[in-house]
Amino acid sequence: MSQTIVNGLPSSLLRSYRYIRLEWNPEFSALTAKFAVKPIQCYSLAAMAELQQIFNDISASPGLVRHFVMASDVSRVFNFGGDLSLFVLLVRARDLDSLRLYAKRCIELVWWLENAAQLGVHTTALVQGDTLGGGLESALLHHTVIFERSAQAGYPEVLFNLFPGMGAWNLTIRKAGYAVASDMILSGKIYTADQLFRRGLVDILADDGGGDSALSQVLRTIEPRFRGTLGALHARRIALPVTYESLQAIVDHWASTALGLSNRDLRLMERLARAQVRKVGGAEEGAVEEIKRMELDTAWDVERTGQSEWATLS
Amino acid sequence: MQSPSLPFFMDLVARTDESRRAFETNSKVLDIVANGLSVERYRKLLLELYHVVWHFNPVCAAAASRITDQHKQVRYFLYDHMQEEKGHEEWVLNDLAFVGVEAAAARKYNASLHMLALNGYNYWAADRLHPCSALGMLYALEVIASVYGGPITAAITESLLLQDERGISFISSHSTLDAEHMAELRVILNTIQSDEAKRAIVDSVTFNFFHFTRVLEAV
Repeated sequence: MSQTIVNGLPSSLLRSYRYIRLEWNPEFSALTAKFAVKPIQCYSLAAMAELQQIFNDISASPGLVRHFVMASDVSRVFNFGGDLSLFVLLVRARDLDSLRLYAKRCIELVWWLENAAQLGVHTTALVQGDTLGGGLESALLHHTVIFERSAQAGYPEVLFNLFPGMGAWNLTIRKAGYAVASDMILSGKIYTADQLFRRGLVDILADDGGGDSALSQVLRTIEPRFRGTLGALHARRIALPVTYESLQAIVDHWASTALGLSNRDLRLMERLARAQVRKVGGAEEGAVEEIKRMELDTAWDVERTGQSEWATLS
Repeated sequence: MQSPSLPFFMDLVARTDESRRAFETNSKVLDIVANGLSVERYRKLLLELYHVVWHFNPVCAAAASRITDQHKQVRYFLYDHMQEEKGHEEWVLNDLAFVGVEAAAARKYNASLHMLALNGYNYWAADRLHPCSALGMLYALEVIASVYGGPITAAITESLLLQDERGISFISSHSTLDAEHMAELRVILNTIQSDEAKRAIVDSVTFNFFHFTRVLEAV
């Protein structure tokens, strides 16, 4: 399918976005969406609405986009997942309906990516920086997951008494097995790209700065066997299905659990958000380092007293 | 993002989310959350906040006196809220005294143009636009206090080496109090059916976030 190219993009994809920059590679019909929800890269309501619009446009022009790539325009960060401040606001307001709405918007995006092969689109996540919670879930949704070596990732939600609810269990089990999913989700630990590669969650481990060439290699390798690859990926879904109903049931449970967060849990969430703000302001350490500190503090305190220090926070 | 089928609180959160994020991601606000404030800047912040608190109940009273029986639940809500907020300017004055500003000097302080604009808008909106717009002021201030008040308290406490709640009682206590108020505010906002009232509330939220951000920028 050929289309007029305007400002570097096929005309049917041309829109003005505030938080996502689109790049078009005509050689492979590859659309790259680079997220830039600055200064704190997360899935805000507006960013999710923009991504949904991009998916709608791709679906409306079948055959135009053969490859969809998700990447980041923010240095050293892929995505930190949910909008923590919005969560705090909704939990404080005891607003189950809005938490469910937010979660529903997330799984609409999950569902599109889950069905991309059937829509004729191969998807790749190019992770060149740290990613947490919903950011990791969104990366694992892609058919091919590339991590640069210094990127780190994990599901820290359990540290503040929540769990990753937008596909983490389904996707991690499907890709790496039940034991790995349990270990990651229930520990809240942060993993290096190498550790994730060895667990089978990352398909390609690239050196720092080498992610773009790894992506080109993926596109070049898949292109001659494109239909077969998509057919196989669709068959993989049939073999290991993730149903909309299970995603919906999990997000409903997630929203109810979020509503039960205590003041201490919300304070920990705020502490993470504040750590990330410090990093934006130029500090060396951000949310990832803060999570590691929480893990260490918890482990040390439990060892010392048999009780977590965080239990005493109010 | 407006959807007539959504409860109004949910609709309000969605329609004003970018205003909230504009506050949260403002570079000066980020700097305060990350590094706290010098004592001079903290004094200025409290002096500005004194004007928010001092005018809060009169704005609510102006709104309550103009609310028709169609929204009498809002009027009653404002009565209760005013009762709770009564005297909180003393908390600001106590914190100011702790950082070396006498009450008389605080009362004489000329608020910044953005604070004057903020208070002026809230009076005007309650009087001339729609009295339910006071709920927009409440929403913006309570989101700022309950979502960002905790991290801001922690940052200022660390930067000024404050102990207990001395010197930071107003911001610290409102981060907790307004957390409780958020749930009550959601319930009352969900009773609003009039499109005119909803529009006024959304506009008020946007305006209050915008000018409160400018106030913090100037501190």
